[in-house]
Order: sequence, then C-alpha cells, then structure tokens
Amino acid sequence: MAIDPLSNARSERRWAFAMVGAAMMMLFAIVWASLSPHMNPPSNIENVDPNTLHIAGEFTEDNLGTQVDAKGRVTTRIVTSQFSFAPECVVVPQDMQVTFRFVSPDVIHGLLVVGTNINTMVVPGYVSQVHTMFDKPGDMLMPCHEFCGLGHSQMVAHVRVVPIADFKPDENGRVACAEH
Amino acid sequence: MNNPADTDPDITDPTLAAHLDEAPSGAFALAGIAVALLLVAWAIIYLFVFLPRGPVG
Repeated sequence: MAIDPLSNARSERRWAFAMVGAAMMMLFAIVWASLSPHMNPPSNIENVDPNTLHIAGEFTEDNLGTQVDAKGRVTTRIVTSQFSFAPECVVVPQDMQVTFRFVSPDVIHGLLVVGTNINTMVVPGYVSQVHTMFDKPGDMLMPCHEFCGLGHSQMVAHVRVVPIADFKPDENGRVACAEH
Repeated sequence: MNNPADTDPDITDPTLAAHLDEAPSGAFALAGIAVALLLVAWAIIYLFVFLPRGPVG
C-alpha cells in the first residue's frame, strides 16, 4: 500500500481552510469590537517636550494627580520616570468617565492597571491618553510593565477608586490620596 | 546508528507505507484538539474578561 499524495494534499488543504477560518473568526471579533462597542487600543498622537515637562505646561508638579475641570470632566495626570510614578497614588471616582494622561521625561515606560483594560506605553516626547470607567471601588495596582532600568521592579503606583459620594474635589477641583 | 540486528523483521516496506499513510489522520486529530483548545481559551478570555472590562480608547 503506497502513500497517496493526493489524499495528503486534500488533508492539508482542509487543515489550511480550518486555520484560515480560525484566524478570520478572531479577526472578525476584533473588527466587530472596534466598530460596535468601540473597543480600540488607546490611540493619541500628541507631542510634548520631555526636557521642559517639569518647568512649564500641563505636567508641572502642582498640576499632577486628579483634577475635575469646570465642565465636570475628571482628568488624572501622571509623570512616569525612573523609577517612580508622580504621584504614586491617584484617586478617581467610580462610574464616571476618567481620562488618564501620562508622560515620561526620561526613558520608555509602560503601565497597566490590574483588573482593567488600561494598558499603554509611555514614550518620551508623547502624551499617552486612556479613557476608562471603573465599575467598582478599591485600590488597584499600577505597575510599570516596560523594563526601564535597575529599579524597574520597584516602580509601582496605586489607583484608588472611590464611590462618587466620597469623591470630593477641593476648591481647585483637585482630589488626592493624602488627607489634607 | 542503525543496526540490522535491531530492526523488527515484521516491519516491511509495505507495512511501513501503510502506517505512514494513516499518520495524517492521527496528526490532524492531535493538532485539531490542540488548536480547538487554544481557540476556546482565547474565546473565553475575550468574551468573559476583555469585553466586560470595557473600552479604553
């Protein structure tokens, strides 16, 4: 009994169809998610000068952390640098749209918030922006996930999600983890 | 190296060819199960972990 090359070719063709079908299924799911519930990777092309972050503009020290603007929008600004986040703890409200804005003055960092879809790189020269809504309160870890140097493993921050009733901005619209 | 004394006398060219001809069905079954498990795992994570966490873009 000889090996039937035609039979093998048919089998391999069927396998190829199955694999293309599997890939198409995943592609369809990703395209559907991006078009219907608008689940896209964070995308924001916005330049910033990493040399002057700390001197002027949006990311000076007194402007970091969570702030509620006049229209009620919640924005959290964080500077990621070797080997810490500034600030290392931010407060955000539950069940409200929150915008995170990250910059780096030194090297490429990355971050994620455990248990959420927040996951982005922070590249010097660009502002990384993520919009999200937290549906339950709690303290969540936000570690750096891009190796940034010898202290990388110590680089971690916290996102403290509080119920709206406990989210109380001061007269400047600012909310911080530390008690005043 | 191959030693003729180690060769099973029952393995002749025709029987070897017959076994080789059967090989793809077993290989496809194994690969099919492995890939199916992978796809199911992907679908579970996608549907029950990724999607419920909501958009971040």
